[in-house]
Amino acid sequence: MIKVVNIRKTFKLSREQKREMGKDFEGSTVDAVAGVAFTCRPGRIFSLLGPNGAGKTTTLRMISTMLKPTSGSIEVDGFDVVREPEKVRKRLGFLTGSTKLYHRLTANELVKYYADLHGVDRESFERRRDEIFTLLDMHPFANQRIGKLSTGMKQKVSIARTIIHDPSVMVFDEATAGLDVVASRGIVELIRNARERGKTVLFSTHRMGEVSQLSDDLAIIHKGKLLYNGAYDTFEAQMQAGSLEDEFIRVVEAA
Amino acid sequence: MKTVTIVFKKELIDTIRDRRTLVFMIVIPLLLFPVLFKILFSVQESQTRKAEQKTLRVALIDNDNAARFSEILHGRDDLRLVEGVPVDSVRAYVSDDRIDGAFVVSSDFDEEVAEFGPGRIDFYFKSTDEKRILRNRLQKIVDDYEKEILEERFEELDLEGDVVEGVDLKSHNLASMKEQFGRQVGGFLPYIFILFCFMGSMYPAIDLGAGEKERGTLETLLTAPVNRFHILLGKFGVIVLTGMASAVVSMFGLYLGLRQSKELPPEILDVIVKILGADTILAIFSLLLPLTVFFAGVLLSISLSARSFKEAQSLITPLNIAVIIPAAIGMVPGVTMNLTTALVPVLNVSLATKEIIAGTMTTGNLVVVYASLAIFAVLSLWGSALWFKRESTIFRE
Repeated sequence: MIKVVNIRKTFKLSREQKREMGKDFEGSTVDAVAGVAFTCRPGRIFSLLGPNGAGKTTTLRMISTMLKPTSGSIEVDGFDVVREPEKVRKRLGFLTGSTKLYHRLTANELVKYYADLHGVDRESFERRRDEIFTLLDMHPFANQRIGKLSTGMKQKVSIARTIIHDPSVMVFDEATAGLDVVASRGIVELIRNARERGKTVLFSTHRMGEVSQLSDDLAIIHKGKLLYNGAYDTFEAQMQAGSLEDEFIRVVEAA
Repeated sequence: MKTVTIVFKKELIDTIRDRRTLVFMIVIPLLLFPVLFKILFSVQESQTRKAEQKTLRVALIDNDNAARFSEILHGRDDLRLVEGVPVDSVRAYVSDDRIDGAFVVSSDFDEEVAEFGPGRIDFYFKSTDEKRILRNRLQKIVDDYEKEILEERFEELDLEGDVVEGVDLKSHNLASMKEQFGRQVGGFLPYIFILFCFMGSMYPAIDLGAGEKERGTLETLLTAPVNRFHILLGKFGVIVLTGMASAVVSMFGLYLGLRQSKELPPEILDVIVKILGADTILAIFSLLLPLTVFFAGVLLSISLSARSFKEAQSLITPLNIAVIIPAAIGMVPGVTMNLTTALVPVLNVSLATKEIIAGTMTTGNLVVVYASLAIFAVLSLWGSALWFKRESTIFRE
């Protein structure tokens, strides 16, 4: 479970960033996330939807302990992200669209590296690896260097790396961005599979199709604030526009 | 500690599979000296042979006042006497390389010599390294001629040759070969090792810091349940190892280079091998280790704060100068180890290595050097750990 309580993240602006904000901007800080709260439950898929710069990635980075919230609190499976970050990370599988891999390692070496970092023992690793490699059809290229693999193959390695330690909470930050339909389908399958296995799933995306296909719960974030937080079915039932995309634009523009 | 080892092993595999790092860590340090010595000695040998075999163009302006000297010059096969050089153009002829040298004999030369006086000869030449051989060849003709004159005079006066020697000075240099070598060549060695330590650390530091950020792998690594300091230590270990490996390989390359150079007399080579014994090498590397840790900390901090590999490269490259200057100061004659120089990193290693090779290092100074290096090493590690914890360093955009 992920419990986000009224978090705020304030960034100090560099001189260069202040210049980019324009002459009208006063102050030296900016709130990337301001008072966001939501809960993601096990066995459900929680979609975080928002335009570019809305605060999605900052929120997910705080959940995954890479950034510390300026205020508020986040708990992952009951562990606080600031006080017990390593315990949180042990339970977390994190996959982003911008995730790259170590090109000079083989698929096998990379997955073993992350298993070792997560403290997976040898026996469990071998069993998990065989399961995952079979599921994703990775055996034919398991010992090839990642730099020589196709985008689809790399995506499979990323997935294997994310789930090798069997995390109870999975976070996907625009994980399908830049992928073709076939590679995206692999991620979507992974998300569905995680829900079926009772995992807590939080994902952010730009693709409305994926939101409507997968979401149990939905939050819309814009300029660091939540505009909607509730069940996806409720949101769909209350839609004023004809499609999810139109409704999303309507909500954002109304804010 | 287990996680440090996991990160270290992975980073090491990743690093040694990187061709660029291998080139800087192994190939350049290993081949530099053998190739450099080969080229230098070949060029030097060919230049020497050329200068020794060349028929020298010489002008003799004697106004018929040096019959015997003129006869000697005319009788030599290795000289070609150039006629018609005006006395006031001698300098121009030599400067423009139209002739290799000129002898201008004084108008009363034969008279002076006959009266047991010194006959004056002005000898014009251009002295450069290559020309020193030419100059020596011409000078030897005059020296031999002078010797002949003196022998004739001694015979005529019925004197022994040593009558002109008022004092028989015999010099005894009590500096051992080791001390002489330490002072002369010892300054050059630390310069090489320090430079290779830095160069060997540079690419891995850029790759494991800015490179990892740029490739987008750092973010994933930070989601693993590992203490950031342990990640840093793993990376640190690899950078230190590559820096030290680079210095070791450069020493091996230097040894190979010296071994293959046929021009180096075997007795000199034996002295070098004896001087660079296991105890000296161990002492030098015990100084290089904390210095490399210091380098690793500084390099990794800069690399982590850069946005990209390229930016890290452009930030780190000028640091070469900051390393070269104190290392080179250590080579300057007169700069010696004292309490102040023992505190300055790089310079202290440069001077201490020189003293260790010469066998003149004092325990007190050595302790100060180790203490200074240890403090700088710990400070740089601590600084890079603080730097690595900062969100603005990791997610700088």
